[in-house]
Amino acid sequence: MTAGPTRSGGVPAPERPRTGSFSRLRRNLRRSPAPQALAFLAPALLLMVVLRLAPMAGAVGDSLFHYSLSTQSRRWEGLGNYIYLLSSPEFRQVLAVTALFLVIIVPVQVGLALLVATLLAERTPGIGAVRTMVFLPVAAPAAVAALTWGVAYQPKGVINAVLGWLGLPDQPFLSSSDQALLAIIVIMSWTGIGYWTMFLVAGLQDIPLELYEAAAIDGAGWWACFRRITLPNLRKTLAFVVVADTVSSVLSFVPVQALTQGGPSGSTRLIMYDLYNRSFALGDTSLGQAEVVLLLICLIGVVAVQFRLLSRGEA
Amino acid sequence: MRLPNRIGSSGPRRLVVAVATWAVGLAFAAPLLWILINSLRRNDQIFTSTYPLSWRSFLPQPATWANYELVLTGQFGRSVLNSLLVTVIAIVVGLFISALAAYALAVLRFRGASFVFSVVVLGFLIPFDAVAVPLSNLFRSWGLANTYSGLILPGLASGFAIFILRQFFAAIPYELTEAARLDGLGWWGVFWRIHLPLSRPALIGAGFTIFLFEWDSYLWPLLIATDPSMVLGPIALTAFNGQYKVEFGAIFAGSVLLTAVPMVLLLFFQRYFTASLTTTGSKG
Repeated sequence: MTAGPTRSGGVPAPERPRTGSFSRLRRNLRRSPAPQALAFLAPALLLMVVLRLAPMAGAVGDSLFHYSLSTQSRRWEGLGNYIYLLSSPEFRQVLAVTALFLVIIVPVQVGLALLVATLLAERTPGIGAVRTMVFLPVAAPAAVAALTWGVAYQPKGVINAVLGWLGLPDQPFLSSSDQALLAIIVIMSWTGIGYWTMFLVAGLQDIPLELYEAAAIDGAGWWACFRRITLPNLRKTLAFVVVADTVSSVLSFVPVQALTQGGPSGSTRLIMYDLYNRSFALGDTSLGQAEVVLLLICLIGVVAVQFRLLSRGEA
Repeated sequence: MRLPNRIGSSGPRRLVVAVATWAVGLAFAAPLLWILINSLRRNDQIFTSTYPLSWRSFLPQPATWANYELVLTGQFGRSVLNSLLVTVIAIVVGLFISALAAYALAVLRFRGASFVFSVVVLGFLIPFDAVAVPLSNLFRSWGLANTYSGLILPGLASGFAIFILRQFFAAIPYELTEAARLDGLGWWGVFWRIHLPLSRPALIGAGFTIFLFEWDSYLWPLLIATDPSMVLGPIALTAFNGQYKVEFGAIFAGSVLLTAVPMVLLLFFQRYFTASLTTTGSKG
């Protein structure tokens, strides 16, 4: 035996005399039989079947039937529920509202998070305190954010009080079909921006300072550095944040359920609220499940992108 | 050498940056302060004291603990205890299950490990809320409605936790494992005595994600735990926002309680959490 075994991608181990039996022992100790690994993995795999596969299969199954509450019977429907959903104007409005919501909330949150993260990287007096102030709202549960902002949005609430102090007229906020969706976006951004800022701050810290040193020698200013160095090096973090923010925004539910119930006139009827409401308040489980399946199909695509971004991080 | 990665390069620019930064910080913190002040206000003063705006708007006058008394003695107190119980169990058991899986995937080199890893992480990346409605139907038929098990189970496996822990375990030198194996330690011993104790930062980061998932969860307890004795904190909070009567003071006192717990944890563990973030999506 001349050289030690090389581990994948590693440097060859230093040559060292070794008896055959020792190397066999070493191999034996290193090798772990698959049953061992399976035992360690079993709880997670079991949960995976129960918490993900079973409900997904259940949703697909139920969505192919029509369930009648009055007669307690099931009738084979095929793709009927899907066809009904996709051709109904109400569901089309839900999709349009959800799309509009996403098109506004994701750029707003990611853009502002990038701005805040950039400011937090500056050497400002008391920056540690500011950082804490930005991150603190992340601690507020969604129900807290929704209910307290709901009080602030009241006709005689604190936001209209501030507007009045500035000489501006009172606004209807949640009771106007033009403003309600934006009002919900503001609520979710109050906690969301701080959360995504955490990722971007971490990403900014990972950019090697040498790059900026080289730019300084070339006499580049801040804006040139931001465009040529910061943004390109932050691309992966930004991509991850955009995808993760999209997933979590699609699932927005609490402010709609707690404050607007989808109104006024359907202007805040996001898909999660619609499928919850359809399944339970309206008792139309089959249509609700068809909606779950449509949502899952969209999400699995987004999640696959997220997974690729995650695994690109490892060598 | 002054680096061009900062906007505040000269005196005036630094001043502008400082003012903007502090304005942003105050904008984020102000609603929290307003929640705290309102929690100490009498119910009838919550609107009259701020509309129109005056100096009175910034101080609770007279301050009262009545909202906290109302909140803690009623149904809400019980719900917060339920939330605490469910969250603590989910963190302990969830970390254990996630660490077991991460260990198998990072250290036990069996054939197909990377495939299983993909399946596990991809599976749990499908957000739980998306399958919550069909799962609640299953849980009801299995008799898990209105039980602690029903509330806890969904929090037990987190793809994010498995991912963070696997990254961390994989970075522990394999020579350590080999040496321990030569000394006669079994695979369980290596996990329990070497990998777990060495991975405190990753465990804290992963535990924090499980905490946020459980403490924030709203849709799931709304679906599965409707019995008054089983209701969780966030659902109990929305009960103050009733259809016929709104208990404004209680909303704020309850909000302070529900926010205080994660806030304390965030202040203590933010370092670990941010560190675990760098090991996930951000690094490349």
